[in-house]
Amino acid sequence: MAEPKTKYDRQLRIWGEQGQAALEKASICLLNCGPTGSETLKNLVLGGVGSITIVDGSKVEFGDLGNNFMVDDSSLGQSKAKCVCSFLQELNDAVKAKFIEEYPEALIDTNPSFFSQFTLVVATQLVEESMVKLDRICRQENVMLIFARSYGLTGLVRISVKEHTVIESKPDHFLDDLRLNNPWPELRGFTEAIDLNVQDPVAHKHIPYVVILVKMADEWKTSHGGTLPSTREQKREFKELLKARMAATDEDNYKEAIDASFKLFAPQGISNCAEVGSSSSDFWVMVAALKEFIANEGGGEVPLEGSIPDMTSSTEHYVNLQKIYQAKSEADYLVLEERVRNILKKIGRDPHSILKATIKSFSKNARKLKVCRYRSIEDEYNNPSPAELQKYLTDEDYSIAVGFYILLRAVDRYAANFNHFPGQFDGGLDEDISRLKTTAVSLLNDLGCSGLTLTEDLINEMCRFGAAELHAVAAVIGGIASQEVIKLITKQFVPMTGTFAFNAIDHKSRLLNLC
Amino acid sequence: MIRLFKVKEKQRETAENAKDEAVRRKQTAGELRLHKDISELNLPQSCGITFPNGKDDLMNFEVSIRPDEGYYHGGAFLFSFKVSPIYPHEAPKVKCKTTIYHPNIDLEGNVCLNILREDWKPVLNINTVIYGLYHLFTEPNYEDPLNHDAAQMLRDDPKLFESNVRWAMKGCRIGDTFYSQCI
Amino acid sequence: MADAAPPSKSRDLDKLLLRPGNLVGPTFDPGVQLRDDLQEYVRVLVVGAGGLGCELLKDLALSGFKNLEVIDMDRIEVTNLNRQFLFRLEDVGKPKAEVAAKRVMERVSGVNIVPHFCRIEDKDIEFYNDFNIIALGLDSIEARSYINAVACSFLEYDSDDNPREETMKPMVDGGTEGFKGHARVIVPGVTPCFECTIWLFPPQVKFPLCTLAETPRNAAHCIEYAHLIKWDEVHSGQSFDPDNPDHMKWVYDEAVKRAELFGIPGVTYSLTQGVVKNIIPAIASTNAIISAACTLETLKIASGCSKTLSNYLTYNGVEGLHTKVTEFVKDKDCLVCGPGVLIELDTTVTLKKFIDMLEEDPKMLMTKASITYHGKNLYMQAPPVLEEMTRSNLELPLYDLMDKIPKDVLHATGTINKDDKKSSGLRKLRVVFRGIDGVTDMDMAGGA
Repeated sequence: MAEPKTKYDRQLRIWGEQGQAALEKASICLLNCGPTGSETLKNLVLGGVGSITIVDGSKVEFGDLGNNFMVDDSSLGQSKAKCVCSFLQELNDAVKAKFIEEYPEALIDTNPSFFSQFTLVVATQLVEESMVKLDRICRQENVMLIFARSYGLTGLVRISVKEHTVIESKPDHFLDDLRLNNPWPELRGFTEAIDLNVQDPVAHKHIPYVVILVKMADEWKTSHGGTLPSTREQKREFKELLKARMAATDEDNYKEAIDASFKLFAPQGISNCAEVGSSSSDFWVMVAALKEFIANEGGGEVPLEGSIPDMTSSTEHYVNLQKIYQAKSEADYLVLEERVRNILKKIGRDPHSILKATIKSFSKNARKLKVCRYRSIEDEYNNPSPAELQKYLTDEDYSIAVGFYILLRAVDRYAANFNHFPGQFDGGLDEDISRLKTTAVSLLNDLGCSGLTLTEDLINEMCRFGAAELHAVAAVIGGIASQEVIKLITKQFVPMTGTFAFNAIDHKSRLLNLC
Repeated sequence: MIRLFKVKEKQRETAENAKDEAVRRKQTAGELRLHKDISELNLPQSCGITFPNGKDDLMNFEVSIRPDEGYYHGGAFLFSFKVSPIYPHEAPKVKCKTTIYHPNIDLEGNVCLNILREDWKPVLNINTVIYGLYHLFTEPNYEDPLNHDAAQMLRDDPKLFESNVRWAMKGCRIGDTFYSQCI
Repeated sequence: MADAAPPSKSRDLDKLLLRPGNLVGPTFDPGVQLRDDLQEYVRVLVVGAGGLGCELLKDLALSGFKNLEVIDMDRIEVTNLNRQFLFRLEDVGKPKAEVAAKRVMERVSGVNIVPHFCRIEDKDIEFYNDFNIIALGLDSIEARSYINAVACSFLEYDSDDNPREETMKPMVDGGTEGFKGHARVIVPGVTPCFECTIWLFPPQVKFPLCTLAETPRNAAHCIEYAHLIKWDEVHSGQSFDPDNPDHMKWVYDEAVKRAELFGIPGVTYSLTQGVVKNIIPAIASTNAIISAACTLETLKIASGCSKTLSNYLTYNGVEGLHTKVTEFVKDKDCLVCGPGVLIELDTTVTLKKFIDMLEEDPKMLMTKASITYHGKNLYMQAPPVLEEMTRSNLELPLYDLMDKIPKDVLHATGTINKDDKKSSGLRKLRVVFRGIDGVTDMDMAGGA
């Protein structure tokens, strides 16, 4: 057994070899390596990303020793980027680690093309002005971007990517695709060969519930003018019918059939968000093919996923059933593949430019596709969503988190005016508080929420925080940022959509739907 | 709570008072619940229970069952129980110590009883399990076999099955297997 | 603009600890003293030096705590390295607690971490009483349940059944699985303890043995057949060791054979390990998030510098990002953290008399009581074999049976007769013996 595979065993069980390969190909750029940035990268280096480049122009100060695990006493006065880089390298020698001793703000202003070399940029502790500029650059260069910021007992995480498409969203709970109410000929043939009234009790209790439900649905239809149970009363009746067919009270297969009967009643067709756009990325080419499939061969259905849940059954029935589902899934995939190749040809692309494996995965996950889009930072700031904000601000449980979101923006305005953050220094706290209050009022006004106020308590707290970057808060924010980075790079699972406003006071944090 | 911590630390420094409490074993929630189960046991004449490690270890015990009807009438069968500290969150682990010819018990002593595995629930108790085991002797079933040969025999030829059971209980050989004498 | 503060290592933490705040704990008393006291007087035990434990040690060391100890019985394995960031490849085989403590001390000067390379049960109860807060980074229900029972055993109640604050041993507990996790605060007597909410942990799925033996359907069934049935059949007497690669390989090979026999796809070595060892997938990021949340709560409990989590946080990053705070409620009858029933006795009362008293006591109304005291069964009504073994205790004074300890907890099981209804019950009892030194002060501490 190869060592790297063993080392990554616990995560390979989550995102598989493919996800790992994507990570190992990725190059990540970190802006500012305080604890928020260092902790984000720590988690990514451990997971085995391809390369990291750390950009930070500052030197290690005494205070950094108290909040950053990636520096120690010997680092004092040295380049922070260099020290953090070398400590991070210790964690995993498979990662290529580089550093650039320069302030990110300067790099954003003087060398925008610098960012095009990366898969993804993690921008930490940036103020509003730099965020807007960087966002513009990354969107232009098609580089994924994630902002992370820790500030006292609050912070935020925000993804900025034009569009992120996911084939393998791997939801925790998802209704099986069993086609119980619409069996294809092979499945119907299989169920017809099985006698529900078989005398042998062992055989009777080992008929898989898929067979029971398909046959009983047919029986119901014959006596109900070809329709399935639809009212609550009918559904209850249908379950009674199932119960009546049990040969003994301990027949688990019938119990499962009763429990799974809702799968029969569930509405058909695709309810998910496969949006069709005009862009011609591989994903959207496949979506176009999927649309054609549904309208033609699919007869209103997407390609079959092909896996079935475990159920009480004889081994033989189960294995055969599995083969029937897999064969149908494979056949559907082949049709879809053909359609993908044709579309590629039509739009003038190499018909084999999308890998078989990708189309197969797309075909199997057709019901689970996800598209995430994010507004630009500039747009979010220039075109606020006052209705959303007001809704959040009046939701008692989450008003602190939303208040923090607004105050995080207020402190940037404050800093732009006064050259320091409110409460950053020990003197003049009272003055800072009243200035921050004024700034917040004018910001709320600009956001179209002039009628609303933030509590004195919250404004006071924000000044108390004085832009502190606490290690534990940075570890939460960095942890979340790195988790989102992994989802973006592996293209598995679903990244957050919105701005995560962290509330470390009572942990009633909030994902704000503002982007 | 720092004020309290401070007081405590001061006490710790000054007093270091002779630890007045003898080292006592920690009784887990599982042990307490088992104590309840055991003190409420209501076993039929045909079942006995012993505690090989004495009265203070209830987590390991043995149950003997002497069925007074059915195929296994007259035999005596011994089961070991091992109870986890997180009982009843987890079912007790039960093994049959007697090598037995039975469709639902294999030669290694594994027992196929739903409430010991997939159907265990914290509301069940030791009494339920013992009754479940007893039931296996009065009504062995061939539908959930662990000993495939015995199950087939019970289904296809109950007469021969019965004589095999008697034979096995005398400590004789069936096929390649020697069974425990338990009659 | 004000002058910059003089350089301080706790530059950022000082903002929280030295400045007055508005959304803070009731006893928050900001100042240099608080910062210094945190360092000097607060002792935190980290239980587990794995994925969460490594993070906890780092986070606590950088959150103003200086006196830390860590306990873990495990040695470092290669599969730990994707998240347990204090360990390197060359550390494989060394005790986790020792390496973790050493690495954090090397990096954060001034912090003292004492490692304990042993099982949690190996330490006597008083070991745990030395700490002010216990932080749990565990992956098993058993271990959580044990530490919870220990921490709750220090809790005392006054005569009005109010918990005495100075006996509370707060715990913070974290747990993760893949992209999901939880962090919770347990203040015994105030918030629900682990046993109050044990139902939060779903029972482990177990396949029926006859399915494994007769009707296997998937790869896991084949693996469990090899592991649970075939192994014993072939290796009579030799118990299966999941950490022995030869044993694992054997189970894998047998599972493959069985899968081929039944035409079942999907048996791999990795899945075999996963099923047999019940491996829970784990990644660095989730551990970091959960541990940091636990550390924040530890800091808040100790210093009062902010409100606390009340009392259970869940995190789910599978689809988008969901966090939720749930305020679970205590089970007032909890055998582990509840007050139980206070009973005052003379030292001469025999066990028999005591059992009789329980029938009459209006708070108990319990007949046919069986009594257990710290794992010693003083009297058992059933089964006959135990009744016989414990009968001789009936004539002895309870005080003697309880090792002459003036006040302590015992448990009684019996039939409770309430409102003409009979039900079986298990009760916690706080027994106090009259006229013994040291228990007269029990009423005064309530409001501390």
